[in-house]
Amino acid sequence: MIQVIIQGLLLSGLYSLIAIGFTLIFSVGRVLDLAYGAYLMLGAYVYFYMAQTLGLPMAVGMAAAIAVGALAGSLKYGFIVKPLKGDHVAVEISTLILAVVVQAGIVLIFNDSSKVLQPIVPGVVWIGGAAVTYNVVAATLASWVILGALYLFVRRTLTGRAMQAVSMDIKGAAISGIDPDRVNLITWVISGILGAIAGVFFASYTQLNPSMWVSPLIIAVAVVIVGGIGSIIGTLVVAHIIGFMEVISTTFIAAELRGVFTMLLIIVVLVMMPRGLFGRAEL
Amino acid sequence: MAAGISWRHVLLWALFVGGMCLLPYLVPSGTLRTFIFANYLAIFAMSWDFLSGRTGYISFGHPFLIGIGAYTTAILSYRFHVPVSISIPAAVVTTMLAGTLFFLPALRIRGSYFALVTLAFMELMYQLVQVIRPDLTGGTRGISGVKTLMSGATNNFYLSLGLMAVIAIFLWSLNRTRVGTALSAIGMNEESVRGSGLNTTKLKLFAFMVSAFVAGVGGAFYVHYLGSIAPRALFDINFLFTIIVASLIGGASTIIGPMAGAFFLTFLLEYLRPYLPGTERYFIYGTVALVLFMYQPKGLYQIIVDAAERVRGKPKPEAVRDPAA
Repeated sequence: MIQVIIQGLLLSGLYSLIAIGFTLIFSVGRVLDLAYGAYLMLGAYVYFYMAQTLGLPMAVGMAAAIAVGALAGSLKYGFIVKPLKGDHVAVEISTLILAVVVQAGIVLIFNDSSKVLQPIVPGVVWIGGAAVTYNVVAATLASWVILGALYLFVRRTLTGRAMQAVSMDIKGAAISGIDPDRVNLITWVISGILGAIAGVFFASYTQLNPSMWVSPLIIAVAVVIVGGIGSIIGTLVVAHIIGFMEVISTTFIAAELRGVFTMLLIIVVLVMMPRGLFGRAEL
Repeated sequence: MAAGISWRHVLLWALFVGGMCLLPYLVPSGTLRTFIFANYLAIFAMSWDFLSGRTGYISFGHPFLIGIGAYTTAILSYRFHVPVSISIPAAVVTTMLAGTLFFLPALRIRGSYFALVTLAFMELMYQLVQVIRPDLTGGTRGISGVKTLMSGATNNFYLSLGLMAVIAIFLWSLNRTRVGTALSAIGMNEESVRGSGLNTTKLKLFAFMVSAFVAGVGGAFYVHYLGSIAPRALFDINFLFTIIVASLIGGASTIIGPMAGAFFLTFLLEYLRPYLPGTERYFIYGTVALVLFMYQPKGLYQIIVDAAERVRGKPKPEAVRDPAA
């Protein structure tokens, strides 16, 4: 029982970290970024290259991952999202294509095989008969710190408030002197950074391979759909629902069913409540 | 002749199909196999396009439908030794039932959310196939040794060509009827269509059924051509991507577009093989697709139409991004 709670908390922490960058884009930019998983993959591979192939310090690897994430975010906004002017379907299709292109690019550079990322924080602790790696604990702590920082950023800083304003009403925000373009760009950059950080932790939790972007994307999608609103608190709550659901189903039913319940949850929630649990108007 | 179909159209179709029939005499059997794949991809792309290109309900789960058709006939014929003449129709019916399942979310949700539900359907199926009754589905490894319908590249080519041609002409004529017009209108503005007194639910259900029918036929015949089936080959984002890109590259909501796109993609893929043997090929054609999509969302078809009109000297209307594309 204790094992389930601990595992659930840790997994949920990781999931919140994965989902938050995606939620941010959904709430401010009002589009679904299907290439979000590609940020995670880029971040993880850059970190792997810096820290493990070149043998540089982990901090350098992390910094490089963050830089690449930020760059990817701004490029994606500048070259894809802005020209399409928020046409949701077009953005979705083009970001899906982009994700496949990034995947192929990764294969081109790093080849097809899976790679093991060494834990960022090595070591294991045993709690109630369950092995808990420090690495996952670190991921969870990092996600809490990042979420807290993001919450404060959005609430307290001018830029954060501008983001809130744009997410509520773009025209209104523009009238009060906010440049929605700039705010959107900042949001995409932050999303890229968060994705890259999440990617490093996610890859150290699972593995590094060129199709690793799909499952975190699905998790992020599930969190956004079920949570709906794109608020940080909502993300946190739903990430915990999904994390615990997965841990419970894999522990008590069957390990292979890991993703099945997440998928079912997406389908059921969307069909029963077309606006998501917390109800914001559909895109 | 039905509305909007002229003798010129009939002649063009006959020329196209007739020309294709000559291919086995002109090209080696390796190239013929590429054509077979292109024909099947064209069927899948037309199926996607009839639903998503027309009505604007973007399906990210089309491999779900194709996979249902393929798995049904594979399981029936391989595990239960049901003759193919029964298992294929059964597979098509099952796919249409699955299409109804697919349709239910579309009653309530639209746009991005619909795309996501269908994506969830596909991923769900991918996981379930491996977990539930692996003795039937073959689990992760899938089934190999499924009975093949024809042997030899030439026979299979004629089979796939026949299927593609019949489906293409059927969908193409359907598009030119008033139902086709109504479906495109749904893609533009569903409320207005409902406002003008048409039953959009019935129309949508019809589009879903036709799309599922085509996907089922394509999937069932395809598995009997390949002789094997595996979950990661079917319920896969790369497969979905190939289908969608084939439609978009050619030109969504035309029948000729997805077909041309399928041929273009298959041959691009084939000619890249010597240089990039693996999945890296997606890098080139993904980039091509992305640039094309950003530059001309209506695809090659529109580019050719524009070019033809420029040659003829007709004024070009202002390009408008079609939300359904």
